[in-house]
Amino acid sequence: MLELQKPRPIWQIMFSTHHTDVGLLYLITSLGFLFLGGALALAIRAELFLPGAQIISDAMTFNRMFTVHGTTLIFLFIIPFASAVGNYFVPIMVRYKDMAYPKLNAIAYWMIPPSGALIWLGFADFTWYATPPYSIISAPGPAADMWIFGLKILGISSILGSINFIVTILKCKHPDMSIGQVPLLAWSFLSSSLIILVAIPTFAAALLMLLTDRLGVSGFFNPALGGDPIAYAHLFWFTFHPEVYVLVIPAIGMMYEIIPRFSRKPIFSYNSGVFAFVLLSIVGFSSWAHHMYATGMSFTEKTVFMVGTLAAVPASAMHVFNFIATMWNGRIRFSSPMMWAVGGIALFFSAGAGGVVNSAMPLDFTTHDTYWVVGHFHLFVMGTIAFGSIGYLYYMFPYVTGRMYNEAMGKIHFIMSFVGTVMVFFTQHVLGLYGMPRRVFDYPPIPEWIAMNQIASIGAMIIGVSMVVFLANMIHSSARGAPANIEDPFGLGGRYYYPFEARNPRH
Amino acid sequence: MGGHSNWPEWVYVGIVIALMTWVGAEAWEAERLIEHVPEDAEVIKVVGQQWFWTFEHEDGTTEIGELHVEVGKAYKFEITATDVNHSFNIHDYVVLLDAIPGRVNTVWFAPTEPGVHDIQCREYCGLIHYNMRGTLYVEEPSA
Amino acid sequence: MLPWVFLVVSAAMILPAAAAFAAGDEPGEYLDRRVVIWNLFFKMMTVAFTVGAVVSGTIIWLIWRFRESNPKAKPTPYEGTDW
Repeated sequence: MLELQKPRPIWQIMFSTHHTDVGLLYLITSLGFLFLGGALALAIRAELFLPGAQIISDAMTFNRMFTVHGTTLIFLFIIPFASAVGNYFVPIMVRYKDMAYPKLNAIAYWMIPPSGALIWLGFADFTWYATPPYSIISAPGPAADMWIFGLKILGISSILGSINFIVTILKCKHPDMSIGQVPLLAWSFLSSSLIILVAIPTFAAALLMLLTDRLGVSGFFNPALGGDPIAYAHLFWFTFHPEVYVLVIPAIGMMYEIIPRFSRKPIFSYNSGVFAFVLLSIVGFSSWAHHMYATGMSFTEKTVFMVGTLAAVPASAMHVFNFIATMWNGRIRFSSPMMWAVGGIALFFSAGAGGVVNSAMPLDFTTHDTYWVVGHFHLFVMGTIAFGSIGYLYYMFPYVTGRMYNEAMGKIHFIMSFVGTVMVFFTQHVLGLYGMPRRVFDYPPIPEWIAMNQIASIGAMIIGVSMVVFLANMIHSSARGAPANIEDPFGLGGRYYYPFEARNPRH
Repeated sequence: MGGHSNWPEWVYVGIVIALMTWVGAEAWEAERLIEHVPEDAEVIKVVGQQWFWTFEHEDGTTEIGELHVEVGKAYKFEITATDVNHSFNIHDYVVLLDAIPGRVNTVWFAPTEPGVHDIQCREYCGLIHYNMRGTLYVEEPSA
Repeated sequence: MLPWVFLVVSAAMILPAAAAFAAGDEPGEYLDRRVVIWNLFFKMMTVAFTVGAVVSGTIIWLIWRFRESNPKAKPTPYEGTDW
């Protein structure tokens, strides 16, 4: 705590294994990649502002940019950011002095910078989905191979981190504390870590097979050698549909911290929150092939996966209910964290509703691989996960730095981002219905397509400007911000949440 | 917590489940209708490769980049690819299916009025994916 | 719980096979897939927007009614306690 009020040499933080130090490293790394990935998004939107080449010289550069954009923001922003929050707060919430395995924790973190370097220095072009046979026979190396190695290392890092969270929560919680008293944020890390342990090994195997296929020594996914590209799709989505829940569950957990606090009420139903997390992490495994309706699946297969997808909806809907019921009869202070959390709920609903429409089998013919899908999943990753995460960043800011961020700038950041998000991603849904495919460098000059691309690009620029405000706020406030009242930084009339830190001296 | 009743949440969950059941049932019924290929549909073999479409009609004529069909007939596309994955898409007729090497996927449609429509590739397939386009010409019946 | 899951999954697997015969098929009269698909789409969007109006309306009302600056706002029973 209070790293910036008690300055230490940087190597003391870098070589530390203490959970808040590792958390700080995760935090700074993830925010760095947020800005890098976001810059690529702005370049992509600028390119698509008009038909024809604008600022990017050729299609290959464009393809590499959207590949690295997606890979970066999913694996190098969202996941490390969740790890940052988990590292800071899970040990405190279960009242333990540190993570269960501090060295393992530091190792898991230090796998991220090299894999980030592999992904960025390689700059592969085969989309975040690395679809064979393109990724085997057509994607240029060494970029593709570097991407494969980068993802491989990130997978190991995720697994190590998950083991650590699971052991910390289940085995290191205070003996006076039953599992039913563990706060929902810690529950969210428990559920998402369990999902990771079950899901990631499948993709880890698929990545190795992809690599040996690229080397020409095997033909698992190469039809020319008798392999099946659809097998890769199944392996990939078996990991990455549940992975969607890995991304979203911690963000929901963060909202579970923010919303009761700023409503000045306890959460409406702790039990339904726990139940929904556990249910989602089981049912999440029954829907992966809804990404693959268009690969020529049979009616029966499609039906099974549609039912599996719809079965996941009640769990998510329970969270929304819980949030609304918590705010009901509260006395809500709309500081920045609360604004981000509530905006995130609204966009979470929109994303979910779009997802239900997507999952209806015949509608896949209209939406699959169009901008509808881009809009849909960005409402999750940006609208829900990034909103929850950024809200939580504002919330934990006094705890991390001992200083207060600039509230007015936080609100400007939220309002611009919310308006921008709605402009970009709702418009992209409509653009998809007009048939514009995703992952295209250029598009024919159809008037509706141009208009909607321009709305989306302007929205993206608004988000871009808001992120500059955010960066300025973070840098300035962490160095020069007013000292926070650490007992009650948001003036809510109660203690700040983390009493254990006060009682437990650093080890 | 505690002290409040839970029945609003149960009612709410019940409504959500009912809605999802309705979505599933409607989708299933629509899918059932469009999955059923008419028996007299003409077969058109579609081959995707980097970065153009080839069409072969039942009578053996081959077209590249454009496809001519007639109003009043049903057509069944047998779609495959020779190099990497593509996705055959006539958005105006809501025809979409992946073209995957080593596999033949089928989808059918029946054009209703004469016109010109875009054919495009909807699955990322490399350098010129964005311009892997073709044209569908729907013509008056010849006979 | 679990038996229900099996029941639903097995029903989902048997029904499509049974129903494939039921689809109408008169020579020369073909189904227009655009009509079927877009009708389904608009039906679902109607419901989605209705539900969306209820949900976002509720959220907006909550924000307006329970903000602390609302004259009617009163402290919650939990304020001042160690909850």
